[in-house]
Amino acid sequence: MTYSSFFYSEILAVFRRKQDVVNALVFFLLVITLFPLGVSPSKEFLQPAAGGIIWCAVALAVLMSVEGMFKEDFNDGSLEQLVVSGLYLPILVLLKLLVQWVSVIIPLLVLTPILSQMLFINWEILWVLVLTLLIGSPALFLIGTIGAALTVSLRRGAVLMLLIILPFYLPVIIFSTGAIAAAQVGQPYNGQLAILAAISLITLTLSPIMAAVSIKASVN
Amino acid sequence: MNWIWFHKLGSPKWFFQWANKWSKFAFFIGVLLLTIGVVWGLGFAPADYQQGNSFRIIYIHVPTAILAQSCYLGLGVAGIVSLVWRMKMAPVFIKAVAPLGAVMALIALISGAIWGKPTWGAWWVWDARLTSVLILFLLYMGVIAIQNSLDDMQLADKAVAVISVVGLINLPIIKYSVEWWNTLHQPATFTITAKPAMPMEMWLPLLLSTLGMYGFIAGVAMWRMQAEVLVREHRANWVKKEVLDNGI
Repeated sequence: MTYSSFFYSEILAVFRRKQDVVNALVFFLLVITLFPLGVSPSKEFLQPAAGGIIWCAVALAVLMSVEGMFKEDFNDGSLEQLVVSGLYLPILVLLKLLVQWVSVIIPLLVLTPILSQMLFINWEILWVLVLTLLIGSPALFLIGTIGAALTVSLRRGAVLMLLIILPFYLPVIIFSTGAIAAAQVGQPYNGQLAILAAISLITLTLSPIMAAVSIKASVN
Repeated sequence: MNWIWFHKLGSPKWFFQWANKWSKFAFFIGVLLLTIGVVWGLGFAPADYQQGNSFRIIYIHVPTAILAQSCYLGLGVAGIVSLVWRMKMAPVFIKAVAPLGAVMALIALISGAIWGKPTWGAWWVWDARLTSVLILFLLYMGVIAIQNSLDDMQLADKAVAVISVVGLINLPIIKYSVEWWNTLHQPATFTITAKPAMPMEMWLPLLLSTLGMYGFIAGVAMWRMQAEVLVREHRANWVKKEVLDNGI
């Protein structure tokens, strides 16, 4: 096994289990539907709240798609094979995550303009939203990986993972909705975007290593 | 009336041969009617006095919306049949029709959004009818998801049947949403009891395209069911013979 063959097999695996990606997207759509129905379908509520609604839904959908990331590999034993393969485990985690990120974020970005119409977001704000999604979502995936790796050996890992990981999502959500709110009132939002990028970069350096440690602990 | 032909459809073999005869018929009649209805509606029917030409999307929107609900009704009935009488063909029907219904619901939603822009000034409003059709679409996605996620076929069939039956609750909500709540969406285009509010020249192509859509979906559904029967019965002798003789 080489890095490229591993990468290729990961792409194949995602293609052959499209249902997982679809599930995350439908979940995303459902969470968004809850807000207009639960709070108020009026434009006065939805327009200012839309950025926050979409970001909360994205965070939950990402958690859902990341949660099962190592499950199959753990059950069929290929996770152990990755650990003993002699390749550097953090790189493997990163490659797996890259495939996962692309497979979720591209359909999500395609859905976003439609959803932003449903939530009455203006086109100028939509670009800010897409920017925050592009810059901020890697952090969501990277942080989520640590939780997924930690809870992979547990039978009811999903809830536990939510409890562990959601607090770490708060800064990402705060700064991305902050950027959107600033854009809505016409203020500069570069600062928030820069902080988002910083969070993504820090997690990019740290979380593959932490995830690798947790995978080794889970597999032992 | 003799019902034997209907009961025979419960057997995969009989269904397969029956569908061989009728699927092409339904499909081509459907496509023919759909083409006539849509061309007539888009090209020749008179324009609406309020909405002008933008109303013409009705010839896509209404047939797909009706089909989306009819498919779900079929899913629910098949779910009951599958749970109560355990007929072999009921889960096959559900598996074949759910994606078709989902596509119909999606087209209805999209065409509705396109229609809503010139008439209401918004692509989407959180209105009772629109939201309940969105939920219908999500129910379809749930059925498809559970079908694809469970590896055990018996369990998957049962789970899908249960979900289909439970989801039936949404149909009356969709149907009466325009009457129960104050909405932007206009009330039903077709009613059996009352005389249509539209003139004949606008109404007839709509009827044709709706019937055509039924035929089209029936044909495609039969093909999908045949394919599923072949997969499920791949050990049976008649399938082997069928494949060897007709080279499917």
